[in-house]
Amino acid sequence: MKFIVRNSKNRAPRLGLLKNIEGKTDVEIETPVVLLHTQGGHIPHVTHEVFKLVSKEPQILQIPLVSMHNFQETMQYYNGTISEFIGSKDSLTCLTLQDPSNLTKQGHHVKEKIPIWTKKGKVLYDSEMYMNIVESFKPDMYYLLSDGDTNKSSAPKRISKRKSDVLKKTFVMAPIAGGYCLKSRERCIEAVLANESDVGGFLIDGLHNNGPEVEFLPFVEVKDVVEHVIKKLPPEKLCSVQGCWNPVSVLKLVQLGVDMFDTSYCRILTERSAAMTFPIDSIEETDNFEINLRQPKYVDDFTPIMYSCQCLACSKYSRGYIHHLLTVQELLAPVLIMIHNIHHYLRFFKKIRECIRNNSLSDFENKISEQYKNHQEKVLSAKNQDEPRRFF
Amino acid sequence: MSTTNKPLIFTVLAECKVCKARVSKMILPHKEVDTPVFMPVGTQGTLKGMLPEQLEKLGLQIMLANTYHLGTKPGPDILKKAGGLHKFMNWNGALLTDSGGFQMVSLLKLAEITEEGVKFQSLNQHKSEVMLTPEHSIEIQNAIGADIIMQTTRWLDRCLGAHSKPETQSIFPIVQGTLYEELRIISVNDHTSRDVHGFAIVVEKAKMISGKWYTYVLTFFQKNKPRYLMGVGFAVDLVVCCALGVDMFDCVFPTRTARFGCALTMTGQLNLKKDFNPIDANCTCSTCQNYTRAYLHGIVTVYPVACHLLTEHNLAFQLRLMKNIRDSIHENRFPEFVADFMLNLHPDRNYPTWIKDSLAAVNINLL
Ligand SMILES: [Zn+2]
Ligand SMILES: [Zn+2]
Repeated sequence: MKFIVRNSKNRAPRLGLLKNIEGKTDVEIETPVVLLHTQGGHIPHVTHEVFKLVSKEPQILQIPLVSMHNFQETMQYYNGTISEFIGSKDSLTCLTLQDPSNLTKQGHHVKEKIPIWTKKGKVLYDSEMYMNIVESFKPDMYYLLSDGDTNKSSAPKRISKRKSDVLKKTFVMAPIAGGYCLKSRERCIEAVLANESDVGGFLIDGLHNNGPEVEFLPFVEVKDVVEHVIKKLPPEKLCSVQGCWNPVSVLKLVQLGVDMFDTSYCRILTERSAAMTFPIDSIEETDNFEINLRQPKYVDDFTPIMYSCQCLACSKYSRGYIHHLLTVQELLAPVLIMIHNIHHYLRFFKKIRECIRNNSLSDFENKISEQYKNHQEKVLSAKNQDEPRRFF
Repeated sequence: MSTTNKPLIFTVLAECKVCKARVSKMILPHKEVDTPVFMPVGTQGTLKGMLPEQLEKLGLQIMLANTYHLGTKPGPDILKKAGGLHKFMNWNGALLTDSGGFQMVSLLKLAEITEEGVKFQSLNQHKSEVMLTPEHSIEIQNAIGADIIMQTTRWLDRCLGAHSKPETQSIFPIVQGTLYEELRIISVNDHTSRDVHGFAIVVEKAKMISGKWYTYVLTFFQKNKPRYLMGVGFAVDLVVCCALGVDMFDCVFPTRTARFGCALTMTGQLNLKKDFNPIDANCTCSTCQNYTRAYLHGIVTVYPVACHLLTEHNLAFQLRLMKNIRDSIHENRFPEFVADFMLNLHPDRNYPTWIKDSLAAVNINLL
């Protein structure tokens, strides 16, 4: 797999292309791109069969190792790739360590080992174990092992020198650690560039500890670090971040030159019964940035989540039906909400690429920022109004 | 060709020359249904996380919904406003609703049957007592708009009186247990009412439908109307009861068991870490086409998608079994099919007595 930057005049925002993909030469993926966040090999609530009803375009699945650790032994006996094993052979895969939708518990590192918290408890990974996993999973892309910790002392020491045939074909990305200390970040970048000449891209790691909090992380807090790191990175390489960034933060990160994100934001919205409704096309009229389908007012609302949305959930199912499914705790509720959220988020990224092409990203960003601000104010004032009621 | 707006047209297409099994076509307002049929249970207007699009693709023609649950949430008003349950849940196939009465008696210990109706404690937070009268049950079932609705024999006449949509919804009376009196009511109603288009029987276990009792019940049922055995759905029960002449079945088991990570197979269990075979090599469902036992083993009971994947297979399994039964009746080899099925299940020929007796009563002898 190769990454090429298309509009090389600007450092950022930029368009790029992932191409020459091993075994899938007809597939090209445009950046800025959003990886489909998975747990246990699936988009939460959406089977691969159902996802085909959402999109038929080629996708990259983000595979958090923490959710696949229980297959570690099984995969050593399996001949195929991880995308075949999880039942989605046409998808590309990107192996990462932590699950961006869950808060990463911090733990003490034992020498060169990094802790991950699986459902069976803490497991320590060292470089050897990790590279064994990469070799047996055979993903299309993977990140080198890093602790991703936000504490400042993280150093770039866990880089493997092993080069098997499998690894040669895989697109490798190096995490840049160093927390919020610009000097540490610089040291990390220097070390990576000196040791790893053939990495295809980078991950700006250690900006947060994953989980739903990232949505509310003020962008100003990360801006300087991201800007500084991107300035020091070779411009021809792919630059990625992970986590549940809200759409405004995504736009600002794209403006700085980030090429790759993930859909963990869709999961945290779905888990709180919320559907994204922010307008993407200029003609779209929506009254809210997102709506919470649990609210009683939707009980007899037989309109779709969004009239202008073409997704399966919006074309066949009403807010009232989803509200009913939520009140009776049926499994189909998160399925329908997730179908819409993923569809909407993929559309959002398509729009981002289109805006970069037309030089209109700033206009789009202003519009979305405005909507998001109004939404946050509404949420806050609703909270304040709700407060006294609780004491009755 | 009949052009009257009958809500149910039942045509027997083939009968077993040996036993009572038959293959029929049941034309309902929303769908033509091939019987013998297994109907999965979508209690609250949804089937275990499956999209109706997936169910259609599986070839599912009819499913159940629960009158009591839907009457509580979202309630008849919302269902009426939504234009009925079919529209509300986006299901184009046929629907059947139970009476909401009898089932509740077995579900809730606090339920009490009086002449007026069924009185029970509501599932809502106030735990108030609710009286479900037959008229109310029919009102909810009319709001749901199912193709077939059920009513306890005891209140059949009151329900037929309250039924507001006889052109689009058929009522089946439910015969409970072995109540002789109820059978007599049915017999009378058969002659007095054209609105009864089929019959339902409730028993606690399939084995209660052993040969003699069933033959007795049969004398009360007209041959040209479908017979529905409620709450029965294990593979072996389906095979035996088809031989006895049952046309319709329902059971929560295949969908409920998926949640606990159980996949239906003719033999064997699914718990092998390094088993890269599908659940069932003969199954054409999308789960068996795309996933190995090893993968499913690693995600069951952890992620909701695993439940969806197993439900897909379990439904496909039930539908395939029913199709095999229908095909073998059509092709005049049903007794052989039954004998092979039972031998496969009990290679030691140690057949349970109720199975031997029931099948012997309809002239099928096991190998
Ligand atoms: Zn939608
Ligand atoms: Zn299957």
